[in-house]
Amino acid sequence: MPKQIPLVDTDIHERVQYQELLEYLDEPFKHYIQNCHWIQEKHMPYTQPSVAGVDRADAVIPDGRPAGSDLAFMQEQLLDDIGHEFGILTGALDPSPSSMHGWHEMAVALASAYNDWQIDKWLDKDERLYGSVHVAAQDRDEAVKEIERVGTHPKMVQVLLPIDDIMWGDPYYHPIFEAAEKHNLMIGMHHNEPPVYYGKWPRYFIEWHTLIPTAHMKQVTNMIFNGVFEKFPNLGMIMIEGGFTFIPHMMWKMDQQYRDLRHEVPWLKRKPSDVMKEHVRFCTQPSEELNKKDFMSLIEQMGTDEMICFATDYPHWDYDSPHRALPNLDPKLKKKIYFENAKNFYPKIPDTKER
Amino acid sequence: MKEQVVCKTTDIQPGEMMESYFGKQNVLICRTPDGEFYAFMNQCNHQGAPLHRGMICGATTDQSEPGEYHYCHKGEILRCPWHGREFDIKNEGRMLANPDKKIPSFNIRIEDEKVIVYK
Repeated sequence: MPKQIPLVDTDIHERVQYQELLEYLDEPFKHYIQNCHWIQEKHMPYTQPSVAGVDRADAVIPDGRPAGSDLAFMQEQLLDDIGHEFGILTGALDPSPSSMHGWHEMAVALASAYNDWQIDKWLDKDERLYGSVHVAAQDRDEAVKEIERVGTHPKMVQVLLPIDDIMWGDPYYHPIFEAAEKHNLMIGMHHNEPPVYYGKWPRYFIEWHTLIPTAHMKQVTNMIFNGVFEKFPNLGMIMIEGGFTFIPHMMWKMDQQYRDLRHEVPWLKRKPSDVMKEHVRFCTQPSEELNKKDFMSLIEQMGTDEMICFATDYPHWDYDSPHRALPNLDPKLKKKIYFENAKNFYPKIPDTKER
Repeated sequence: MKEQVVCKTTDIQPGEMMESYFGKQNVLICRTPDGEFYAFMNQCNHQGAPLHRGMICGATTDQSEPGEYHYCHKGEILRCPWHGREFDIKNEGRMLANPDKKIPSFNIRIEDEKVIVYK
């Protein structure tokens, strides 16, 4: 990536340690962490069989704290070293309030505490960093209240919804999208632990990790056919950490289905591929190793070069280097993928010249 | 012939590694459990990760039937700190998943306690 091309990194995982949340939690929820040792529920039977679990082995904080938990170290290893213009924080999905299968009161409290911590320790401390509103979406009305509470913060740019086993296009969740649209917030979807094998877990991690894009495809299909973007015309959605090479297939498949079966979803007024082009963006990471010819072929198949946005996924093990992950593209296209596409997508990210 | 002392033999225990410099080139010196030394470019050939921040470990061999694990080559496999790609230290730094790819290596010899990289 040439130095003259600015970067909006659309997926950076900051990590909270539960002890840090205590000052932002009221009782009794504080007590449940402090004395009862609450931890986020996890479902996968495997660990991530890399060198250091979910994180880059070289991203562990020198004093032993987990990767992503220290702003100064992130500045040194990522933001200053690469020269980020902007970065979007997406949390570590721990806690992941919307992933909890019960005890939604705790989830609501955790979401608020996390947002306050994120603003306090990250967004207010580095001008390059922008944030995600965490909500407990199962309790829709509380989620809307939380969006109303922190969504007006100038550096909150999206509402984060995890991809697990809830399909977010269901009309029950539409008030969340209404609140997001009202505050110029986009929807960021990031997988947590979607059970990609027919509601169950594949035998091996490598199977699950290979099939994560299918979980992203399900959500895009669900949001479009449930008419979310017809109902909320100013809403956008970015699919985070699912890659992008499946986009042409989705566009072709949904358009063909729409031509045959539109009868069932009369609220959809446009071809699904046109809805995607206007409303949906995809992070490039984790990028397959494409050569320039194959990469350009995909862009041609998408029919637009404005749908994909670069992301590093720092500090996770499948980090994409801005210097090495994509083939050497022409400068104009590079600028779109590394900067302009994301900047144009998020209404609250300023123009660099105005900073 | 260019050569340089990059470290002492006592700096690295068997099964460990360290980074050093050969001129301006950042190099990785590995010592396998049999006491042998190897020198590689300290950069993953995938996305450029600093290999000395990874780990030296063993590998699950490909001589396995489905469902079988055999952990072998302990101390002879270098794994990248980012994507976990595995390189066989004793087989020219070749990648286990694709032996056509390898980490560039350097000549190395030991004189007394000096570890010398040369070309």
